[in-house]
Parts: sequence; C-alpha cells; structure tokens
Amino acid sequence: MMRTFGTCATLLSVIFFPWPLTACLALGMASFEPLVPFAAGLFADTLYYAPNSGMPMFTLIGAFVTVFSFFVRSRLKTSIIPR
Amino acid sequence: MKKIFLAKRNALLSPGYVSWGACAFMFAFLALLLRLLAPNFFWHVITPVFRVSEAISTESGALLMSFSNATQLAARNEELVNENAALANENMMLMKNSAEVSALLGGGNASGIVAGVVARPPESPYDTLVLATGSNGGVTLGMEAFGSSGVPIGVVSSVLDDFSRVTLFSAPGVSTSVWVGQASTPLIIRGSGAGAMNASAARAAGIAVGDIVFAPGPGQLPIGSVVRVDSDPLSPSVTLRIMPAENPFKIAWVLLRATGVVPMEFATTAP
Repeated sequence: MMRTFGTCATLLSVIFFPWPLTACLALGMASFEPLVPFAAGLFADTLYYAPNSGMPMFTLIGAFVTVFSFFVRSRLKTSIIPR
Repeated sequence: MKKIFLAKRNALLSPGYVSWGACAFMFAFLALLLRLLAPNFFWHVITPVFRVSEAISTESGALLMSFSNATQLAARNEELVNENAALANENMMLMKNSAEVSALLGGGNASGIVAGVVARPPESPYDTLVLATGSNGGVTLGMEAFGSSGVPIGVVSSVLDDFSRVTLFSAPGVSTSVWVGQASTPLIIRGSGAGAMNASAARAAGIAVGDIVFAPGPGQLPIGSVVRVDSDPLSPSVTLRIMPAENPFKIAWVLLRATGVVPMEFATTAP
C-alpha cells in the first residue's frame, strides 16, 4: 500500500507540486522502489524539458539516484529492506 | 525428506510482487514516446491536467490565506509591491523611450498574440512556459514574449500546432544583450534559473542596486532590476544579481510579438 501510494504521489507531484517537493518524494521512495526517482525524472523531463535547456538534468539525476539505490540495496541484507 | 524451494530473486519482478517502480518507469517511458511521436496530441492530453493543477493551486492558496490576517496582509503587501514595481518599470520605459519610441513604433506593429500559460515555474523546472497557442494561432519561432506592462520575459523556443514553449531570460545558459542604468551600459546577462539572472560588469561602470535593466525590443524595454552587487576588492569587475520585473511564478497570460531582435540560439524545431 505504501509503495503504491508513494509511487503515485511522486508521479502526480511532478504535475501538481513544485519540483523540490517532487525531488523529496522521489528520494524518500528510492529506498522502497529504486526505479521511482528515474521514472519521476523521466516524466518531469517529458513534461518540461526544452531542447535548448542543455542536458535533461532531472532524468540524469533520477538515474543516478536509482543506480545508487540499487547499489545500496545490493550491499545490504535483503532482510533489512522490507518487500 | 523435506524439500526446500528457494525462489529466484529478481530486483524488479518476483512472484506475487508487483514492482510499482517498474510500472512508474513504463508509464514515464510511454509518456516520453507519446511526446516524441505525437507532441501536439500529447499536449492536448496533458493540458486539462495542468488546468486542474492550476485550479487546485489557486484554491489552496485562497484557503491558506483565509486562515490568517497576517498572511493575507503579507500577500496583499507583496501584490502591491509587485504592482508598484510594474508601474515603476512602465514609467522608466516611457521615460527612456520618449524620444525614440515614436519613431520606432510609428508605423510598427504594436499588436500581438495573446496566449494562455499552461505550465510555468516552479512546476516547470527549466524556467520555461508552455503556452496553449501554437502555429495554428500564428506563433512562430523567435517571437518575443511580453508580460504585464510590456515587460519582455523570454523567447518562443519551440512551436507545435496548438502549443508553444517560451524560454525565459532567466533560464540557465541563456544569454541576453541588455543595457543597465541611466547610462545605458551595455552588458550580457546570463540566466541562472529560478527567475534570477547574473551579469559581470566593470567596477568603474558605477552600476548600483536599483538600476533598471533594459532589453532590446521596440526601443529599450525594462526586464528587471539590479538587486545586489557582489564585489571583490581585488577584482576590477563586479557581479550583478538581477531579478526579473515579472514574477515568472505568477504569469497567466503573455503577449507574443515578432520583434526581430531575438538571438537565434533560442530557435529550435524539436518538440
């Protein structure tokens, strides 16, 4: 239930709330669902990225957080992180 | 003998467990594909959602204001300050252009295209505005966007059939040629995001806090003012911190005009 609500809230916040709040939600969800930051970053750039804005920073940052989250999960005992 | 079955572990999928992160990623990926393959249809779909977001934001703001008189007064004060700044800018613009604007605008095109804003900062993190008017409404690449009181705020950087995108002067990496102060000192300002702009100027130029920044348009149009001057005693130059005259967080409508003075770095046909 927590994962469902958190994932939906993160994606909805991309549209409904300022991006710092979205970033906080995505970071909070990273420990439960590592792909959520990447998805949120990709969705934010899908909505707001302008071609002359340089690199799609939110996708890149989301991907980095996701990779880092997977790395942390791989280093911890699986019993610590609830499924 | 009792057999022990060990389930094969998978980071994303396992029996009886749905990875909501994978679902979210698939959703975002499909949205990206839709934007790339059918950008106009994508914005038609997403615009009602942005409208709901704006309505919720407005209603929640009104609800919060009703809780406290102090909050209401602060908001009112902020509104009056913004209005005062807009009037001051308008006054400066009239003073600055009194001699030359008549010649520039005498036979010029003072009309433009009024476009509603679908998405704006801070929801939009790149200092861009998504407008609900596109090439069908006469919008073309490179048109300059004006806020209230004729304040230039940015440039149309991409156009679809029914939607367009304005990159604000404060967008990171955007450079704009301007003049500063009554002496009209020419400078190049750079956007630094979140509505702020920076510029480097010679200390001898004598630029001070409160000086108005003008951008090229029909004449010289105020786009902001110097709010801070950072100086290092060992350096011959100072760094100017510039705030825009128009608050990008509150822009609901813009006026688009082809002024012909826009740098081509803005122009792109990508969606």
